[in-house]
Amino acid sequence: MRQRKWMALLCAGMMAVSTLGMTVTAAAEDGEKTAEEQKREVVVTMPPSSEPASGFDPAYGWGAGEHVHEPLIQSTLVRTNTELEIENDLAAEYGCSEDGLTWTVKIRDDVVFTDGEPLTAQDVAFTYNNCRDNSSVNDFTMLKEAVAVDETTVEFHMNEPYSIWPYTMAIVGIVPEHAYDETYGLNPIGSGRYIMKQWDRGQQVIFEANPDYYGEAPKIQKLTVLFMEEDAALAAALSGTADVAHTAAAYSDMAVDGYSLMQVETVDNRGFNLPATEAVADEENGVVYGNDLTADVRVRRAINLAIDREEMINNVLNGYGTIAYSVCDKMPWYSENAVSAYDLEAAKALMEEAGWAEGDDGIRTKDGEKAELTFLFSNGDSVRQALAEDVANQLRELGIDCSTEGVGWDTAYDRAQSEPLIWGWGAHTPMELYNIYHSAEDTGLAQYSPYANETVDGYMDQALKSSDLEESYELWKKAQWDGETGITQEGDIPWIWLCNVDHLYFVRDGLKVAEQKLHPHGHGWSIVNNVDEWEWE
Amino acid sequence: MLKKNLLFAGKNLIRMFLLLFAVSIATFALVAVSPIDPLQANVGQAALGSMSEEQKEKLRSYWGADTPPVERYVNWAKAALRGDFGTSLLYRQPVMNVIGVKLANSLFLMGLAWVISGLLGFVLGVIAGVYKGRWPDRLIKGYSLVIASTPAFWLALLLLLFFGVWLKVLPIGLSVPIGVEAAGVTFFQRVRHAILPALTLSITGISNITLHTREKMIEIMDSDYVLFARARGEKTGKIIFHHGLRNVLLPAMTLQFASISEIIGGSVLVEQVFSYPGLGQAAVAAGTGSDVPLLMGITLITAAMVFLGNFAANLLYGAVDPRIRRGGGKV
Repeated sequence: MRQRKWMALLCAGMMAVSTLGMTVTAAAEDGEKTAEEQKREVVVTMPPSSEPASGFDPAYGWGAGEHVHEPLIQSTLVRTNTELEIENDLAAEYGCSEDGLTWTVKIRDDVVFTDGEPLTAQDVAFTYNNCRDNSSVNDFTMLKEAVAVDETTVEFHMNEPYSIWPYTMAIVGIVPEHAYDETYGLNPIGSGRYIMKQWDRGQQVIFEANPDYYGEAPKIQKLTVLFMEEDAALAAALSGTADVAHTAAAYSDMAVDGYSLMQVETVDNRGFNLPATEAVADEENGVVYGNDLTADVRVRRAINLAIDREEMINNVLNGYGTIAYSVCDKMPWYSENAVSAYDLEAAKALMEEAGWAEGDDGIRTKDGEKAELTFLFSNGDSVRQALAEDVANQLRELGIDCSTEGVGWDTAYDRAQSEPLIWGWGAHTPMELYNIYHSAEDTGLAQYSPYANETVDGYMDQALKSSDLEESYELWKKAQWDGETGITQEGDIPWIWLCNVDHLYFVRDGLKVAEQKLHPHGHGWSIVNNVDEWEWE
Repeated sequence: MLKKNLLFAGKNLIRMFLLLFAVSIATFALVAVSPIDPLQANVGQAALGSMSEEQKEKLRSYWGADTPPVERYVNWAKAALRGDFGTSLLYRQPVMNVIGVKLANSLFLMGLAWVISGLLGFVLGVIAGVYKGRWPDRLIKGYSLVIASTPAFWLALLLLLFFGVWLKVLPIGLSVPIGVEAAGVTFFQRVRHAILPALTLSITGISNITLHTREKMIEIMDSDYVLFARARGEKTGKIIFHHGLRNVLLPAMTLQFASISEIIGGSVLVEQVFSYPGLGQAAVAAGTGSDVPLLMGITLITAAMVFLGNFAANLLYGAVDPRIRRGGGKV
């Protein structure tokens, strides 16, 4: 009997030892740092998808792609300011030829890479030619060749005019030709504000301020970026591990001791497409193009009027968002004419006018056909799903029988040719307008949702050909509404825009995060664009 | 004797090779029929939207979407036979380098979890079996059943909140301390960062081996030879040691070595919660991102690990029980 007791004790003891014993050993992790040192360091979390899989190489998407940001390690020819207008960085001056086919950039002569070698026009030409040949997510197909004319002058010869080239120059970090090989992405050398000290793949990147930076010296000396999911980022804030932790609207009402919530406005927009042509099935690939209900412009206008965006932002985003009227709200190329107000009665009148009469069940019919729409959203994206549900609810008031359906990206693009899909856009380039609204050569219709308007196409073609960026802004605006036609409420309205999703962060009290430019689509590197200007109080 | 051993090793080597060959074909076939478009999976909707058709063509050929699957497989297999597993499309590094780094992290974690869950599970199983129906048994059985139906990631979150957020004694994730250069990272710090994930994996890994060992132990305690031993007046401790352990060791070992595959599977979710950069996370990235060379590499490595685990169990049988020793059947 005594032995049995002993065994039982042993069993309990083993369990206790295994769990507790391991934790007791925990002790202070880092050597103590002086308060002064801590005041110059900052730890920021980002989603794991922000980690550049192929390294910090501009040719493989560092700085560009799904999420546009400043490359930090390298410097760029120009940069965008908080208004998203272009400013000089490495470039001392730049200009474009009359025909728009040659861009000439003069660069500063006092810039050195962190390995001590000077940065010359040759390095710039090398960077761009390398990007043109190998680029993954960033598009360089419009570039024919970059040529270094002398030590400080570089010329870009284009295949076709491309007036928004400066927006490309704002994200391409210049790499040193002498230190570039396949492993550059792992050990990047640049002339930017920070030096990459260490990269623990899948976990963190440590940056240190570049002491030889040619611009204003960074105030934050050390930046550590952690890659983690939202739950882990919340834990990082709760445990006081991170200074800035990204989060989502769902966690926004959590009170975290010693932290406050920061919301950053974005052009990270959500909207849906309305196919603007009658439905036709493609015999070859089985895809249906167009939708009989939304082919009528009056129906599309009615839908736009019937959506209460204010209510939607409060319901779905807990208020952390702004109303979106276009894909490019607040950008220099945004046309104010896109604004429209919620007016359900006017929307109903438009539906009546289009011949859709309300039935006993509240659903409208025309020639025996019911008004039906299925709103698609990408699986696993809770915000897009909630937006789809909300839109469906609101449009039932209008008398359209709406349902929602989650789809994977493998089928979403094809399905969107005939049904509305909830999209997310918002890059810092007008090229997005072009890709959404401009018709493609082979089909004569825009690529994501059937639509075509020659006048709109014309303005955008002109805008790209323009040799002056300021002038091109006007043309992009005209493409949206020129007084007679366009893509706004009075125009063809082939896409409906709902909201811009605010990016949310828990920020440790005492840290002053510098003013952010409008964040683009994606919750990643943008936050640290200006980390060099942050301050501890 | 030596000849026999060589023959045995050779046979198993051929078996392993055939297994890997079959696994590689199966993996490739599955990838080939999967509906994932590498472009849409990797580039993201917003980036795809600001890209010209020409650029998309370039990317399609990079991801191999324009080559017939059979041709791709043959190319891959030829290179793999020469020991070249190709370059990861996502990471743009040789596949073996990528796997090497991740495996080093994972092996540490999984090895720790494997040993702890094995030893602890075995001991608990024996205790429960001996005390069948009494409170130690009920406690252990209850614990095992509860844990068996607990999702690993949920437990991981719970531990993280308790030790990382509430008590603040353990790090909330990662395998190295935050903001410290590699040179300054000590072994002790690495262990500290592996504690929570390893603990999660061990706690959830215990139940299987515990319950099986318990069942076997009960059977042994009810057997005639134990009854005989008792009749001779042997104490319970001695009975367990002389008659129990040896007999219960074999099934436990089989289970333990077979559980290698489960630990690999379970580590995926746990690594996710603790932002721990192991093989599991890489496998998920490779699978959903259509990184065929990396996926093939990881599949082959894990298949080989599972095979070697079972092979090791086979060898150990002989060491534990002379009756099934090869060539030594007559004792």
